[in-house]
Amino acid sequence: MSRLQLSALLVSLAGIAVSAYLTVLHYAGVIPGCPVTGPINCEAVLSSSYAVIGGTAVPTSAAGIVWFGVSALLWTRPAGRAHLVWSGVGLATVLYLVFIEIVRLGVICLWCTATHVLVVAIVLIALASRPATNTARE
Amino acid sequence: MSARRPVRKGAPLRKPVAGTPGWVMPAAVVAGIAVVIAAFWVIHWYTTPLAPPPPPTQSETQVVLETITSLPASEFDSVGQGSANNLIKPVSGTRLVGSTGKPEVFYLGAEYCPYCAAERWPLIIALSRFGTFSGLETTTSSSTDIFPNTVTFTFRNAKYASQYIDFVSVETLDRDQKTLQSPTAAEQQLVTKYDTSGSIPFIDFANQYASTGATYSPDTIGGMSWRAVADALKQPDSTQAKAIVGSANLITAAICKATGDQPATVCSSATIQNLEKTLK
Repeated sequence: MSRLQLSALLVSLAGIAVSAYLTVLHYAGVIPGCPVTGPINCEAVLSSSYAVIGGTAVPTSAAGIVWFGVSALLWTRPAGRAHLVWSGVGLATVLYLVFIEIVRLGVICLWCTATHVLVVAIVLIALASRPATNTARE
Repeated sequence: MSARRPVRKGAPLRKPVAGTPGWVMPAAVVAGIAVVIAAFWVIHWYTTPLAPPPPPTQSETQVVLETITSLPASEFDSVGQGSANNLIKPVSGTRLVGSTGKPEVFYLGAEYCPYCAAERWPLIIALSRFGTFSGLETTTSSSTDIFPNTVTFTFRNAKYASQYIDFVSVETLDRDQKTLQSPTAAEQQLVTKYDTSGSIPFIDFANQYASTGATYSPDTIGGMSWRAVADALKQPDSTQAKAIVGSANLITAAICKATGDQPATVCSSATIQNLEKTLK
């Protein structure tokens, strides 16, 4: 297993841990500790209507567990097209969630940001590990 | 002497073509993300309301209050708990009674607070099923806090009359966070005992139940006028009705527990009886 592969696997496991923590707190009705200062406010984000997957009672963090779980499985194998596609799905979701935080709610949740950073890290590793396509033989 | 280089067997016929360095794509992605996030903040800055909506006229306020305090029983039954988050927890202590000897509902909040702004809607609706308010005035939460300018009412000059319960309210700060009202020593003791997180709004239902926070998110009514909220409450399927009427039903169930299910016209409905069971 390459160093990049191992890094991506560890980042995925960290993502599962943070997402699971947020999911457990959601079902316990507890807001995680987080400073409320300026544009940082976890309570506002995690108690908003966007904290659950539309029309259900399932927290968005549960989807995070699934995404990081699939990512962890993927990174047990060498990097390929599937890794790039899955990373793209993650990045698109992160951008949507950041849009909700900033534009709709006007605040940022630090715990959510932690998972977003982990997703971006996996995206960067996937790009750095992508199969070379720019060599040629006569 | 030939100008051609000797070719070794098994070696590449041509050196790998030098492509884009590996770090360029990740760096481009990071830069792209930074630009997108900056754009989000610009959009937020342009779309954040700076001033509260103009207050409704007295007659408009009256129409809104009449609408929300005379919702038909079928509306309450149709919504049930709706999308309300049940934050009402049982507490133990000496039964809280008001100056007239009836069970007391005590509210502590502040005008700047968006969660208080949200929670006043269902609280007014629920309390109006047991008695009558006067002196309610429209206001909005702070323009500079989260969920800015959430439309609501204030209890600062409100009076409440009921043959079943007493209602006492304290609005500690106005929407500019200037001191408005202070709890009495006895009220402060209730807050200290039952509102351990110190969050508002805090509601004590006769020391039998207490809730802290809003039972639905203020963004549910974000950007709406008082009239628009009132109109939405008449539609049981609306997002606002599910949140606000659902919350009002939960509050009603807690009050019914405190009054011994009086009046029966309110408390004996299957909806309230079912919600009472969820309060434990």
